[in-house]
Amino acid sequence: MSESVATVASENAGAVAWEPRIVALVCNWCTYSGADMAGTSRRGHAANARIVRFLCTGRLDPLFVVKAFENGADAVIASGCHPGDCHYVQGNYLARRRLTVFRSLMEFLGLDPRRLHFAWVSASEGIKWAATVDQVTEVVRALGPVGRWAAPPLEGLEQFALPEPDAEPRASTDTAGLTEQLREAAAALLAEGGASVVLGYAEGSLPGQRVPIFVTEPAEAARLVWDESCAANLTVYLPDAVRRRHGDGKVAIVVKACDAKAVTGFLRENQLVREDVVLVGVACEGVRLEGRLAYKCYECAEGVPAGADVVVGEVAAARATAPDPRDAQIAALEALEPAERWEYWQRQLDRCIRCYACRAVCPLCYCGTCVAEKNQPQWISKAADGPGNTAWNVARAMHLAGRCVGCDECARVCPSEIRLDLLNRRVAQELQTSFGYRAGLDASVPPPLTTFRPDDPGEFL
Amino acid sequence: MILGWRLTDAERREWLERLLGSGRRVVAPTRDGGLLLFRPIASPDEAVLDYGNTRWSPKEHLFPRAEELFSYRLTADEVKLEQRAPDAVEQVLFGLRPCDAAGLARLDSVFLDGAPDASYAERRSRTFTVSLACDSARPECFCTAVGGSPGGTDGSDLQLVHLDGSWLLRALTDKGVQLVETVSALWEQATDEDWAAAKECQRAVEEEIARTPLAAEWAGVLDGAFGHPLWAAVGERCLGCGVCAYVCPSCSCFDVDDNGSAFCGTRCRLWDSCGFASFTKHASGHNPRPDQPSRYRQRVLHKFAYYPLEHGSFMCVGCGRCTVLCPVGLDIQQTVRRVVEEALA
Amino acid sequence: MNGFLPHLMRIAELRQETPDVRTLCLEFADRSVASGFEWRAGQFALFSSFGAGECVFTIANPPTRGGRIECTFKRLGKVTTSLERLSTGELVGFRGPYGNSFDVEGWRGRNLVFVGGGIGMAAVAAPLRYVLDRREEYGEVVLLNGARTVPDVVYKDEMQEWEAIDGVRVVRAVDPGGEEPGWKGEVGLIPAVFERLGLKPDGRTVVVCGPPVMLHFMLLTLDKLGYSREQVVTTLENRMTCGVGHCGRCNVGRFVVCRDGPVVTAARLNDLPEDL
Repeated sequence: MSESVATVASENAGAVAWEPRIVALVCNWCTYSGADMAGTSRRGHAANARIVRFLCTGRLDPLFVVKAFENGADAVIASGCHPGDCHYVQGNYLARRRLTVFRSLMEFLGLDPRRLHFAWVSASEGIKWAATVDQVTEVVRALGPVGRWAAPPLEGLEQFALPEPDAEPRASTDTAGLTEQLREAAAALLAEGGASVVLGYAEGSLPGQRVPIFVTEPAEAARLVWDESCAANLTVYLPDAVRRRHGDGKVAIVVKACDAKAVTGFLRENQLVREDVVLVGVACEGVRLEGRLAYKCYECAEGVPAGADVVVGEVAAARATAPDPRDAQIAALEALEPAERWEYWQRQLDRCIRCYACRAVCPLCYCGTCVAEKNQPQWISKAADGPGNTAWNVARAMHLAGRCVGCDECARVCPSEIRLDLLNRRVAQELQTSFGYRAGLDASVPPPLTTFRPDDPGEFL
Repeated sequence: MILGWRLTDAERREWLERLLGSGRRVVAPTRDGGLLLFRPIASPDEAVLDYGNTRWSPKEHLFPRAEELFSYRLTADEVKLEQRAPDAVEQVLFGLRPCDAAGLARLDSVFLDGAPDASYAERRSRTFTVSLACDSARPECFCTAVGGSPGGTDGSDLQLVHLDGSWLLRALTDKGVQLVETVSALWEQATDEDWAAAKECQRAVEEEIARTPLAAEWAGVLDGAFGHPLWAAVGERCLGCGVCAYVCPSCSCFDVDDNGSAFCGTRCRLWDSCGFASFTKHASGHNPRPDQPSRYRQRVLHKFAYYPLEHGSFMCVGCGRCTVLCPVGLDIQQTVRRVVEEALA
Repeated sequence: MNGFLPHLMRIAELRQETPDVRTLCLEFADRSVASGFEWRAGQFALFSSFGAGECVFTIANPPTRGGRIECTFKRLGKVTTSLERLSTGELVGFRGPYGNSFDVEGWRGRNLVFVGGGIGMAAVAAPLRYVLDRREEYGEVVLLNGARTVPDVVYKDEMQEWEAIDGVRVVRAVDPGGEEPGWKGEVGLIPAVFERLGLKPDGRTVVVCGPPVMLHFMLLTLDKLGYSREQVVTTLENRMTCGVGHCGRCNVGRFVVCRDGPVVTAARLNDLPEDL
């Protein structure tokens, strides 16, 4: 889309000098009326904002903002009623959380933060509206046009190197004993009717490869293995496995501490009934990808999943942990100028082939029809090009905001090695800093973007 | 007698320089952010020729991920449709593994047989392929199981063999001859001994691969086993992503989609995968392949039954990428063996 | 010049057949294309609404009614919704014809039965209209049309013209519960109504088009009544994208619908795997 819009735009460019194109997503009751009031008060302002009216900022989907940029906007203003004054009582509170998280994600991707503005403008604040539009117009005029949105980066530029950790907090351990114990536990569950199926890991056909298996006979339990290569999060199969075997017996599943957090997510979102599941928690000292300890394991102090029904193995009382290397990587990226960071991420996203493996492996991506598959309208372009890939990855990160438990499966399986884990982690950081929230710990805590506090933080004009 | 030459490494580099200087685009395995991918190179040093295989196949250079078919613009009461003029730059896909070259030959049979696809044909006509025989195998390789080999020439215009620090080169097609015309007179002729040594090397790699061939008759066996209950089990762990189809050198399924508004935009051809749930879903909601095992079955049968029964060779070329990159480690040739074994029992 | 570039066609006329079924009568914007354009009854085309995409419809008018291309479709998804919003004079895209066609020559002299269920009537329309346009070449013609409710009957007006023709019998049926006061047609599901007609399988050809479930039960009924599978013909409508056998989307086992179909005999259909 941006291609042909750009063509039309450039055809017109010869005719008129560039003026900032600002899309204003405003709520009907407050800001729209406020804008109207600016007019009736004869308080003129820059004509650069095209207003799109919604009933409430609570309706603002981050994809609207992305679409605005795709269609040629140089900046976006989102504006609604002041907190406490929402016509629908709480819409703008939810918007505040959502937009705060969204802005942190877009900044992390390298969108210049001066292109995204959020404001509270009431129906009586015509003057404020006019001032907001004038202010944003001037800021964007100084910034210049966005140019082609999500265009592939120039060839030949150096890829930014992320800092790597110096040392790993823990060394490899011998897991042979755990494999034996696991096989016994699984066989016992099946033989005694504790479960009708055990989801676990087996050897794959390639050396070191571990693949999911569904064991239904005690004798088959001998195929189960447990070692540092068991990186996959098997909970992705759980709701479906329970549905298919419902009434026939429980579904037992081999889980690590990180995997089990997804079960908490399922419980919170009513995708599972706890009693249908038997959590077989294995004492895990960390998983290794090509011999290197996975990043998520650095700071993991848990070892054994909380709430496991069956525990296989024991974890040393005090175990060595270290800060997650991603924190330093995120910091390094945030130290870059927005333009450089944008280029980093566009290089990453340029390699996205839209295989949706990230979606397929994610336990919390369970929508019957994914937003990417919805075509009336098609919010996310199906083409594996810059704009489509940017829209998809933004949507994925936002739809998982507050729900992603950081199992990093998406990053592990991405055939293009896109650092999806950095996107998820940055969003999770924002949720923790701004709203004190961490996913996967407590099934009774509602997802942070479905709730609010009247005193939530949020930088708004 | 095979037409062929023996090049020193310097001569190989020099040939690449010439190709680069000839106005052609040279696409070779090169580092792209930690991945090895087929990308246009600007200098011979960017080509990595000492490698296992690239992360994904070079097929995107003949069959792009997203290709604009035409653009449309509505004005008043007219619709203007415009097609971009084709690139017209010749491209050399340099250093493909024989499995990937065979994959391109499979794509040729899909897009060029019968009613040729015009844009694929156009791109193909200005593409030269120089394959690089393998001197070692990776655990996932199984080209020999599907009728290929580490020195296979299917889909190659020229083939390079790295032997004792030199490069054997032979032209296999007229296009191949064309590509070396201006420079081959400078090169030393290869000898029968050279090619015998190369053959020996190839045999050693085949031994390393150590896979028993899938019998051609198995295509019919699989076709007949459509209704076998084992499909539910073999496809059970498939998650329905598109990794296998997209990294595969011979997968060619696509979708056509309009990208834009009612006023202006483009109609594009995009990769698609039979593994996706919505691949065959009707607008009414009816889906001929309503569950993942039926979709996985389609992939296996397309590659190992339908295509071979029509074209005489397996569509799979045995590169093994799908096995390595599948998030749940599905091994397609293992699946085939399992189903055939059950069906024949 | 790639094969995906559509012809531009202007909507010359449109008819709202039912609340959600519309017929578009299209004329080539480029007249020179129209004069050379040929197709056969049963072939399909990819019709497009720019911005929404392409969709497969059978070409509903036979070549005996040339000069225009007609399609009849039900509003179901993105493209059909977009096409339904267009007015006369607006332009749509068209590429085709693709696929095989009905053996209208081979049917000469025979008695024929056309069974169209719901929007399946559009697929039956082309061969039926062809046969009626060359009436003298064919024997008895029976049309059994089934719709969910009375308002859902497609081609209501033309049906009255058809039954006025000598030797043509039109049986209208609605699903149980779909009738209205004063409804004089049949009430029942198509297979049951067909049985009641008491038509003997005396070498007559039966053309059946409709939703998969209707097709399934009709084929069972026809089997039961002694119709040979060679004399029963249907069209397969899978989701198709390219129309020429390249995109890999429409296969039913080894059978590629756009290339080997969409017209198939029940005998051929019987050989195909349950991939439909």
